[in-house]
Amino acid sequence: MLAFKRKYADDLLAYSFLWPSLLILVALLLYPLADVVRLSFHDSNLQRETWIGLGNYSALLQDPLFYKALWQTVLFTAASVILHLLIGLGLAVLLNMQINETFRAWARGLLIVPWLLAPTVAGMIWVLMLAPFGVFNGLLVSLGLIDVNASVSWLGNPETALGSVTAMNVWRAFPFFMVMLLAGLQAIPKQLYEAAEIDGATLWQQFWHITLPQLRGVITTVVLLDSIWTFRAFDPVFVMTGGGPAHSSEVLATAIYFDGFQKLRFGYASAEAVVMFVILFIVSAIYVRRTMSNGT
Amino acid sequence: MRTATLPATVSRYHLGQRNRERMLNLLAYGLLMLAIVIVFFPLAWMATVSVRPNIEVMKMPPDWIPAVFTLQAYAKIFSSPRYLVVFANTMLVSLLVTVLSLVLGAMAAYALARFKFAGQRAVLMFLITTQMFPLVLLCIPYFRIFITLGLYDTRTSLVIVYLTFTLPFCILMLRSYFLNIPRDIEEAAMVDGCSRLGAIFRTLIPMSYPAFIGAGLYTFLLAWNEFLFAVVLIESWENRVLTMAIYSLMAEFVTEWNMMMAFSVLASLPLVIAFVFLQKFMVQGMTAGALTS
Repeated sequence: MLAFKRKYADDLLAYSFLWPSLLILVALLLYPLADVVRLSFHDSNLQRETWIGLGNYSALLQDPLFYKALWQTVLFTAASVILHLLIGLGLAVLLNMQINETFRAWARGLLIVPWLLAPTVAGMIWVLMLAPFGVFNGLLVSLGLIDVNASVSWLGNPETALGSVTAMNVWRAFPFFMVMLLAGLQAIPKQLYEAAEIDGATLWQQFWHITLPQLRGVITTVVLLDSIWTFRAFDPVFVMTGGGPAHSSEVLATAIYFDGFQKLRFGYASAEAVVMFVILFIVSAIYVRRTMSNGT
Repeated sequence: MRTATLPATVSRYHLGQRNRERMLNLLAYGLLMLAIVIVFFPLAWMATVSVRPNIEVMKMPPDWIPAVFTLQAYAKIFSSPRYLVVFANTMLVSLLVTVLSLVLGAMAAYALARFKFAGQRAVLMFLITTQMFPLVLLCIPYFRIFITLGLYDTRTSLVIVYLTFTLPFCILMLRSYFLNIPRDIEEAAMVDGCSRLGAIFRTLIPMSYPAFIGAGLYTFLLAWNEFLFAVVLIESWENRVLTMAIYSLMAEFVTEWNMMMAFSVLASLPLVIAFVFLQKFMVQGMTAGALTS
């Protein structure tokens, strides 16, 4: 009896520490997920619900707007992630060079600041800067690139709206990559570079054959994470353009919001959300497999 | 006779390399300064617009330095209870979320770090996956559930739902920190007559304060900056949080850009100040958050 108690006392203690968190997370994540899946088979405006089977999904597959939002989400994600990586890696390499310690600390600290801002706040600043009367047009006028009377409405033009939102997102979120990659760079053993130098390797060769292979793990992790976070992002698009003009900057997250909370088509919005969840789940599964196999 | 000659080991090649290194470093300084200027331009613009009269904001081409310096936007915010309540709400919600996440998170993290039990791997996988959840998916059921529970349009609802993304992060980060602290230390305390809880409070928790500060700061930041759930779950102005208040200011009849930028400055300031003093922990939190598990 005593042995039995000993054996399970630890398990009991572990479960008793764990259950409050698990209960909260199951109630807040798994139950709502089940509810959304259920709702996606119904026609619902929250007042009444009618079972329509796969009706929402077949409507979805015929909706050009859905494909447009999906494609634009992919574009927005790919452009953001690639630029985050290039800028983040470039700045991390610069910060990792043999520069003054104080300067390094200050430069890193200052360059992180945009990442502290709420996407809402960052979005507002860029809305102001990109407005027809904004400072960005002012800059172009001062440089003589455009005429005073021909200022561009960057967010009001279907051709530039999504690109403008992407630019804001790149500005706000590159510090994440910079910090992570700098940590990765600092973990590379110095001997590797010393050996390469003795062998007469150029800086470019060192970067290509030592730095990049050594950073591969960190790069894969941050690219996966950022892809997931950007793919599901709502705030930048909602705040800056509301998906417009004419849906030219619509992404999945905003499309789901508008279908649900403006058009009150909750069943249809749920079906969209389920599709989005499946896509994200596949990418997450890759990420989870990677992290779990890295010796948890 | 002694002449100043170079040591045999320093070849002409080495000297060339020295110079090249110096050049490269100069380039690094230059490029980093340039990056700082570009990155700070939007922040500087936010600050200068917040101290202009609104009429000056619309001027084309813009004045780079405000022609008239005025703090009227700030005065307007600080003299109006309608705006101040928004700051109080945000602070209240963020602090509550941070405390709850750290307490519940530390408990779960301890269980995951110190015990082996059935289902542990599944729990870890679940925690990592939750961080990838599309939050917009949760809005629809939350909206329905909180109306049913009578919690729609309350700050309580925000505190509850923010746990969905802060709690898994806190658990994972604290767990990875606990794993690096040898369990011998706790066991030694227990041999000396501490209970298990006593040992945790006397050794483990004091020793992992950097993780608590890092996770706490990041949690506070996430809660402070959240927007989507606030838009969906809050209706009345007196329950609003900052991000949402700033957004609704834009939708008002005449956009007072100086007010909005003053609001933005004030909304960003607490985070920037916290960051200046606790940068080390925050950066640890950032790197740990993504690389842990």
